Amino acid sequence: MRKKKIITYLAALGFILILNFLLPRLLPGDPFMAIYGEEAALSLSEAAKEELRAKMNLDKSLIAQFKVYLLTLAKGDLGYSYALNQPVRTVISKVLPWTLLLVGSALILSTLIGLILGIESGWRRGTRADRWILLTVVGLSALPNFLIGILLLLFFAVQLGWFPLGGAVTPYSGFTGTAYLLDVFKHLFLPLLALTLAQVPRSYLLTRASVLGNLSYPYVRTAAAKGLKPLQIRYKHVGRNSLLPISASLGVSVGSALAGSLFIEIVFSYPGMGSLIHQAIAQRDYPLLQGILLVIALTVILANLATDILASKIDPRIRKE
Amino acid sequence: MVDYQAKKEFLASFLASKEIILGGCLAIILAASFLILPWLLKGDPYQTSLNIFTPPNKEYLLGTNDVGQDILAGLLLGGQNSLKVAVGVGILSTCLAVGFGVLAALVGGRLDTFIMRMIDIILVIPNIFIIILVSAYLKPSLGLEIILISLLTWLGGARVIRAQVLSLKERTHVYAAILFGANLAYIFFRHILPELIPLVLSIFLQGARRAIFMEAALGFLGIVDPNVISWGTMINQSLNFFYLDVWRWWLLPTAGALSLSLISLTLIGRGLEETFISNSERRSKIATDQ
Repeated sequence: MRKKKIITYLAALGFILILNFLLPRLLPGDPFMAIYGEEAALSLSEAAKEELRAKMNLDKSLIAQFKVYLLTLAKGDLGYSYALNQPVRTVISKVLPWTLLLVGSALILSTLIGLILGIESGWRRGTRADRWILLTVVGLSALPNFLIGILLLLFFAVQLGWFPLGGAVTPYSGFTGTAYLLDVFKHLFLPLLALTLAQVPRSYLLTRASVLGNLSYPYVRTAAAKGLKPLQIRYKHVGRNSLLPISASLGVSVGSALAGSLFIEIVFSYPGMGSLIHQAIAQRDYPLLQGILLVIALTVILANLATDILASKIDPRIRKE
Repeated sequence: MVDYQAKKEFLASFLASKEIILGGCLAIILAASFLILPWLLKGDPYQTSLNIFTPPNKEYLLGTNDVGQDILAGLLLGGQNSLKVAVGVGILSTCLAVGFGVLAALVGGRLDTFIMRMIDIILVIPNIFIIILVSAYLKPSLGLEIILISLLTWLGGARVIRAQVLSLKERTHVYAAILFGANLAYIFFRHILPELIPLVLSIFLQGARRAIFMEAALGFLGIVDPNVISWGTMINQSLNFFYLDVWRWWLLPTAGALSLSLISLTLIGRGLEETFISNSERRSKIATDQ
């Protein structure tokens, strides 16, 4: 079981690598521009271009090129962004903390909210409260994440002016200590709210469905017969069991939250990976685009791996499969 | 679903769901207005003019944008394009899902393992990232967009279809057909396909919904053919002028049309699932849905 999963993840990584490698090389047009980006194709001298071509084996066979490609990556070299005049790794490591802050806090918040809403709504299945929560969340789940972001931005930042229009900190403010943290929080609030709202439906629907499944098990009746309070049954017994499917699908949640953050960062010009992708697309900075997508793919794969290990630790039934 | 009575029951349970009725009406109204209104209004969404940022008036019902184009005409053409992508992806991805799902389940053995493993592998990375990577290079036209999105959306559906066919395969009437010497194609069309109809509908809807979302998302990122008018590009462009009042008649109606389209498909999908698909299947679907 464990081995099969690891092979799947390795193959997924291989799939992304091959896609990254083949796309710029097989498309019609100038592969040099497709590999190094528009800036490099326009501004580098012929001699420098020749040197890069020789370095990446561009005049040799695809297999020889793939070898160099993998070797360069193995050294941790993600390439060079000619548009920003910096190594891709440096650019990404500068913005990564902001994305991690946004995605991490949104995941925690949305899981908690989804869990509580799911347990309460599943417990009251069929009542008016359950139906309303379900309808609201389903409606929310239909909206694209960037639309949720845009609506929040227009209402709370543009109309009411309660929050800054974008960015992660006030530029040149010189804030330190608590003032700095407060500033970061003020900038984080709306993107975080948008991403959380976009992610709540996942954990809510999953929890509600598993609560519905769990309620028919005899252990619930036993707990009630023992005279436990409904609150105890709901959270200590049913709630704990409903935690399992959520934790087992945490890897997928990380992927979907990262995808969501990409669009929400663009809406709020939050300086993370999403805004960077947007910039890379606009400037045809292909090394940067490839680098970011590779880092995201790696993150998703590692999150899946961690989830599998975690899930088999808390649910012994998975180990036996 | 072979006899008339079953067909009638199927239709009746279809019409008994409030969600299906509501979502269905909404979808029909939206689709009809995208197809009919352009004929009545005769606005040209590409025609630029000197009247930039005009507020809504008699000539331009939703005003004009930064280069003086008729916003309502753009909105309607964007709707037509979304509709095309939704139907195209719905059909193509459903065919792929049914084809590969049924193939895997009926043939079994190594082919089954191979297909299922490929699906597992591709589903690890959320497919929006793969689509962004490919589109950044290709700047896809509408047709190419349909193919790209379909190639990535059939995977989950194939899993569900395979599971269902595997369980159908064990039913006695299928065994009886095998004993009578029926071939695979006959068994599939006569005994398996009719039972798959609710699932197929739900996969079609999911494909259509995802297609509308992805089409808007790619337009929003600016990685589609720049000559194609899409809701995503309209939302993206209008966001550049959020400090003016234009977003009220540029961004909001577009966002509204996009949301309503997605909500209508979501409602029909939920209604279908609640009526025809068991709780446990739905649970595994939510867990893997990106």
